[in-house]
Amino acid sequence: MQFEVIAKCHTTRARVCRMKLAHGITMLPTFMPVATQAAIKGLTPQQVESLGITLILNNTYHLNLRPGIKVLDEVGGAHKFQGWNRNLLTDSGGFQLVSLSKFTNITEDGALFASPFNGEPTMLTPEESISIQHSIGADIIMQLDDVVSSLTVGPRVGEAMHRSVRWLDRCIEQHEKSGRKDKQNLFAIVQGGLDPALRDICLDAMIERKDQVTGYAIGGLSGGEEKGGIKQCADRLPSDRPRYSMGVGFAEDLLVCVALGVDMADCVFPTRTARFGVALTFKGPLNLKLGKHTKSMEPIDKNCPCPTCASGMSRAVLHHIVTIETAGAHALTIHNLVFQARVMGGARDAILEGRFPEYLKSFFFDYFGDTGYPEWCVNALRSVGVDLMQGVDVPVS
Amino acid sequence: MAQTQLEGAQRIGSRFPKLTFILDRGKQFGPRVGRLCLTRPSDSPSNHVIDIRTPNFLIGTSRGAVPHFSRDHVHSAKGISWINVSFESFLEQTPPVPTYQTGSQPLHNFLGFDSSKHIVSLSLRDPLDAREMPPNGNSHVSASCMRGVRKVTLADWRSYVLTMQPDIAFALSDTPFTVAPHSQKRLTKSIERSAAWLADLLRPVENMMDDSFSESTSAALNVFVHMAGGTSTSARRAFSHSLMETLYGLEADAVKPLLCLDEGVAGYAFDLAALHNSELLAQTPTPNTAGTPTSLSSSMIEPLSFLSLTPTLDELLRASLDSLPIAKPRLVTDVRSPHEILCLIRDIGVDVFDAGWAVKAADIGVALDFIFPVPSGHDSGPNHCKRDIGHNLYDAKYAHDFVSLSDAFLAGHNGTSSSKTPVCPCAACSPVAPTSPIYHSKVDVQSHQAQSDDGTSREQFLPPFTRAYLHHLLHTHEMSAHTLLVAHNVVILDALLTGVRTILSGHADQNEAEVIFAREVTRFEEVYDGAMSVLHTARDNWKDVKYARGKGRLLREAQKEKDVRL
Repeated sequence: MQFEVIAKCHTTRARVCRMKLAHGITMLPTFMPVATQAAIKGLTPQQVESLGITLILNNTYHLNLRPGIKVLDEVGGAHKFQGWNRNLLTDSGGFQLVSLSKFTNITEDGALFASPFNGEPTMLTPEESISIQHSIGADIIMQLDDVVSSLTVGPRVGEAMHRSVRWLDRCIEQHEKSGRKDKQNLFAIVQGGLDPALRDICLDAMIERKDQVTGYAIGGLSGGEEKGGIKQCADRLPSDRPRYSMGVGFAEDLLVCVALGVDMADCVFPTRTARFGVALTFKGPLNLKLGKHTKSMEPIDKNCPCPTCASGMSRAVLHHIVTIETAGAHALTIHNLVFQARVMGGARDAILEGRFPEYLKSFFFDYFGDTGYPEWCVNALRSVGVDLMQGVDVPVS
Repeated sequence: MAQTQLEGAQRIGSRFPKLTFILDRGKQFGPRVGRLCLTRPSDSPSNHVIDIRTPNFLIGTSRGAVPHFSRDHVHSAKGISWINVSFESFLEQTPPVPTYQTGSQPLHNFLGFDSSKHIVSLSLRDPLDAREMPPNGNSHVSASCMRGVRKVTLADWRSYVLTMQPDIAFALSDTPFTVAPHSQKRLTKSIERSAAWLADLLRPVENMMDDSFSESTSAALNVFVHMAGGTSTSARRAFSHSLMETLYGLEADAVKPLLCLDEGVAGYAFDLAALHNSELLAQTPTPNTAGTPTSLSSSMIEPLSFLSLTPTLDELLRASLDSLPIAKPRLVTDVRSPHEILCLIRDIGVDVFDAGWAVKAADIGVALDFIFPVPSGHDSGPNHCKRDIGHNLYDAKYAHDFVSLSDAFLAGHNGTSSSKTPVCPCAACSPVAPTSPIYHSKVDVQSHQAQSDDGTSREQFLPPFTRAYLHHLLHTHEMSAHTLLVAHNVVILDALLTGVRTILSGHADQNEAEVIFAREVTRFEEVYDGAMSVLHTARDNWKDVKYARGKGRLLREAQKEKDVRL
């Protein structure tokens, strides 16, 4: 990986970076759409690329089940399998073990879970996670971490954090000896739940291993509105490594994270909400299932360059087909991915041009001006020197 | 609202495109080639002629959308030039929402079709839907939408058609979708109503007379008529006769200047769905044409000894066309196999087919794989078994099959100009890298510069999507599978009809062309399985995946696979 910081915001910690991987250059900050099963829902890879997207995510847990490692090895990796010639990132599979599997028992050796094929106990070790990710061949791969729910308290959080550090060492070792370091880049995942002290210990340990990892992910914070953990990580993580906030996808979260110094984020939200009939816009989400769109001949957003809006597809047509025709899901998925890309592209331009604080203010005003600013956003942005409330009369919710 | 509709009505006179059909060669019954030309008025924003060589196909829409296609796919798809919109799903709102669309070519614009590329026709009902319906009335048709059954009167239909301005409109037809058999009296009523309803749509548009700029008096609505008469040859003859009959008195005044109804008819349509459903036809031994989708299952497939059309269906079509002029396009909806298409071309001379069966095959995970004419050396199936007309990509044997979807066609990536095997130009077999991706910031250009610098001459086609990938997408219930399969299947159908036209127009002597064509049809029937058993197995597999979804799916599937092996 070649990683270069091109520009920094004069006020916040936001930055624009250039990340060159084996499958091309991705400009950061960026949002990564999720192709869980090796396809962005309903689209072809050519369509995704045409939307200006250069980095997507595949899920290791799912690809390991289907099509399986054998198929991926035969075909030469997930890029070739799905016809995606741009950059690809895989998670470690650990999160899905916790969120999807019936029972998962974490031991020092690895995660013990019931095989979804036959119910038999199966072990996912850090070594195996890395080796599966080698078969997938993603440009960025993740260490296996010991995931605990962000609601967990007590000694389990500390245990998981310490174990994640030990597992990182095993992942590094497995990756070092694979001979794939030139093509695939290992990211560490900073854990520690919501406890700042634990997170600091984790940060110390992981920064110590900086020379063996190409980037850092910030885990365990996607659900909550508490961005203190993200700020803490982004503040301390080395500036010459990309920072990836896992599972963040709401536009306001993305921009707050960018302001705190995050470079990458992923989430299924924009594609999933599309299938439920919701279009994302700079004036807030638009539920096209609602009766008020029945006769609206307007496009979702007449300034949007996505193929759905550019073709003049009216809200009325979308209302007629969303959640019924696959074509409705495709139309909104295309639009929502372009919306996410516009939010982040707009951030890149604003940082480059030294007007990122203004960009934040105008985005939040358009997006929340009617309903009120989320308090956590106001607080999080104040922590990096941007006061959303300055000069505007908008309630805080 | 009222104002927009008024404006619409004022425009109408000069806005109808002109549809002409030129029959290059052909007789009353037998294979024929021609071209269907749609010429838009000279003042229209897209001053284009759309030229469709026949035999060809149209693709139907579901709720106004080409199934599984986003708009960019509709525009880039190969082979799609005629799209039929069934209006009934829009009856959920009153007035129907598409009627709010303003501007020229409202139907094209509302649904995002390209008026320089797509002929868009409008029918009230989905021609593939032959479910039981409440009876029609003397001046209304029962149509189906998600909120239930809607009565659509003649006046309604006429106003929808005039407002939407389709390139081609289907006249309402009194096809009974009530429980068969239908009495003689019902049949008589059906043909009388159908003729009267046609006459209603053929009435001149009021404003046309005032429109001094309409230089061409022939720029009238292009109307296709369903050939009524059900399964009775005599009723069908009677209906055709009523089209040719010279009109007098009030009837003549109503459709002035037409002398008979047929003069105002642009083409003849046959909806096989109602015939497929009919008990009268089901009794004839034609398992490949008489099966209804719900009764299909692999256990019911009988070995099929003959593949041609039943004399019955053949006779019905002939009875309708016997007394009608030959130089009008003939459209058949709800064909169900390439075999049926070829026989209808050979024995009747049908010009346009609907692609519904190819789309349905894509719905259930089948990638079509056949070619016409069958090249030499392509005939040997293993153990003298017939070849399947496609691949059921649910089948586990494709899990490691890293080749493109069809054996009969190459992927663009692998194609060379020297190869005899043709290339499948679809989005699955010959994907093309996007030329101008959207930039979201000034620096995005760097992402794309680097790409184009790498390979100095980027290949025209990217590697194809493989059977293994589609197998994976189907089993993981990913919608992308169906998008790619529709793109592919439509192109394979297009290639079939291109093959037909090449043979029929490739010989100076028409009789020779017909003999060669008939020989190739026989060869096709010998090589490919007309029982389409692959579709039936695929449908079962598709259901299995659909019902197995949810937690514990992989376990259930593994169990099932074990059961099958035992």
